[in-house]
Amino acid sequence: MKPIEPMEPMKTSTLDRIRNNYIVQAWLVLFLAICFGGSLAGIQLALGPLIEANKINETLQKVPEMILGSDKVQKLPEDQKLIIEPQTIEVKKNSRTVFYNVFKAKYPNGRPAGWVAKAIGQGYADKIEILVGLDHKLKNITGLFVLDQKETPGLGNKIITNEWRNQFITKKTETPLSVTKEGAKAAHEIDAVTGATISSRAVCSIINTTIKDLRDPLLNRAN
Amino acid sequence: MGYIVDILLIAVGAALINNFVLYYFVGICPFIGVSRKVDMAFGMGCAVTFVISIAAFLSWTITTYILKPGAPLSKWIAGLFVSPEMAANIDLTILCYIVYIFAIASSVQFVEMYVRKFFPALYKSFGVFLPLITTNCAILFACLTIMSNVAGVDNPADAWDLGRSLTLAVFGGVGFTIAIVIMAGIREELELCDIPKPLEGAAITLVVAGILALAFMGFTGVDSGLKKALTPETPETVQVQVIHNDQSLASSGNYIFQ
Amino acid sequence: MADAPTPYERFIQGILPENPVYRQLLGLCPTLAVTNGLQAAMTMAGAVAFVLFCANIITSLIRDLLKPHLRIVIFTLTIATFVTIADRFLAAYMYQMSKTLGPYIPLIIVNCLIICRCEVCASKQSVVHAGMDAIGQSIGFAIALGSIAAVREILGTGMLFGVSVLPEVWPDWVVMVLPPGAFLTLGLLLGAVNWYGMQKQDA
Repeated sequence: MKPIEPMEPMKTSTLDRIRNNYIVQAWLVLFLAICFGGSLAGIQLALGPLIEANKINETLQKVPEMILGSDKVQKLPEDQKLIIEPQTIEVKKNSRTVFYNVFKAKYPNGRPAGWVAKAIGQGYADKIEILVGLDHKLKNITGLFVLDQKETPGLGNKIITNEWRNQFITKKTETPLSVTKEGAKAAHEIDAVTGATISSRAVCSIINTTIKDLRDPLLNRAN
Repeated sequence: MGYIVDILLIAVGAALINNFVLYYFVGICPFIGVSRKVDMAFGMGCAVTFVISIAAFLSWTITTYILKPGAPLSKWIAGLFVSPEMAANIDLTILCYIVYIFAIASSVQFVEMYVRKFFPALYKSFGVFLPLITTNCAILFACLTIMSNVAGVDNPADAWDLGRSLTLAVFGGVGFTIAIVIMAGIREELELCDIPKPLEGAAITLVVAGILALAFMGFTGVDSGLKKALTPETPETVQVQVIHNDQSLASSGNYIFQ
Repeated sequence: MADAPTPYERFIQGILPENPVYRQLLGLCPTLAVTNGLQAAMTMAGAVAFVLFCANIITSLIRDLLKPHLRIVIFTLTIATFVTIADRFLAAYMYQMSKTLGPYIPLIIVNCLIICRCEVCASKQSVVHAGMDAIGQSIGFAIALGSIAAVREILGTGMLFGVSVLPEVWPDWVVMVLPPGAFLTLGLLLGAVNWYGMQKQDA
């Protein structure tokens, strides 16, 4: 029998070297990355504006309610709908600059309806974000809405309820509001939520600070 | 001084008040799986803290310079192809989840190589748990919190800097370590108790975690108390007011509520 | 390959015998976090179902091309993309719910359930198998989330889906909608499921 000749070691051809290269092995990853990137870009183009509109509408939808009260807003005829102008007001206090998002509301004939300010402050557990509605001359509070809070459920949580918030409507702004536990008697007193004095005080102090900071800028602007 | 108070509040908040495991429910899988022995639990806690810090650093840098709306690096690169006004609107936040998970995977890989080289015994005792840190919700959660405080704020001046982000990450990891070590201590004692058969294993761990969470709820309000104690009451003088219309919203004309 | 589960078996296994929460103990983070209301729980279950289904299908379609050392990267990339899509959809069409669920939707990316299913089933079996597996596991997950959310919401607020089901005199056990209640509910329900499993084994 003829002896079998020893085989020569295979030279690594260029094709094999290409096949073992990391970048080529990752071709699937790169291909998928491009496909997914493209689809995400498409999603962003399609849904981005919708999400932005959602964010803005969340606050803007509350503004007429804050100024006129929810039942009056329902009855407002189409041609009397309020025009809302968003503004940013920068207030320098000591060395800090605080930004307020303020919404100016007007009737279609140009008559001013009021102001709504968005304010954030420290509550018991975390920050509380509120919308406070003021009349045009900043003499009365016309509405209060709690946008975001993380107070204790069942206790501090009650600051979002209608009954507690309704106390603030028609309160005058000259004297700062204060919180009592016994029962509000004077015009500037607010009944605290039972068992949640700190949360109630936090909301009042946010409102007081907002009115104090914004009184001059808005009155100058109210022409 | 205000900065230090801020950092202190973030640290206390992340470690105790809003504990990652007992309040936000992230990092539950290792919390139940690794909490049998105290030293193992402590090692896991340290590893997670290490990985969170690296991942937080990476994600803050990438978010601030590449991903957030109007980020410098992306603006510059886009400016090479399109007009500067269009480049200023560039917003890559849709890629943030993908970028974060790959940043976390790289951090874990890096930590793995480091531990294998310098602490081989520790590496062996960890076994499969070290690569599993990639799927630890706590790390991605820390990155997401940092993103929402950098790219998700209305006011650019409120965006978190590197110091605050790293504080959140490190003390989040510290809180995780505290929770997991306490749980390991309790479980070591529980092994000597007579637990009903259906409740053995994960079920009793969860019940004990519930009682722990109840205990940690006692920390609520500590940060607002600390803040009040540490910030001096200075009479605030309202100095300069600058008023400008919001261009982005007003440019669509007056918003007429429908 | 003769023992590989059929699609029907995959579907049935996912619902109770291999229930992702009660048996495999996967995906506990969203289970505890979003179950304080039934509506939030169902939205989360829907999002996970969407991501699981799409990721399984895609993984199964490319299963022959997967290199062993790159497969985790590919799974992660696929899952992250679908989670981003789900998150954007929620933010666009269900904005309030998206704010309630908060950071827990992106946390689906690191939900061990999905990577586990991709690894165990989708990368080895055909599209039909993968699809049925995804549907079965999603139903199991939804059942688990729903049971916990129902208990927490009824005991904690006396309501179900925002509708009062308990009489006014019920003092709300507020702790049930707080973190401790989540742990206690899941722990006790897990014990109950284990007990039921042991009864069936003894019978």
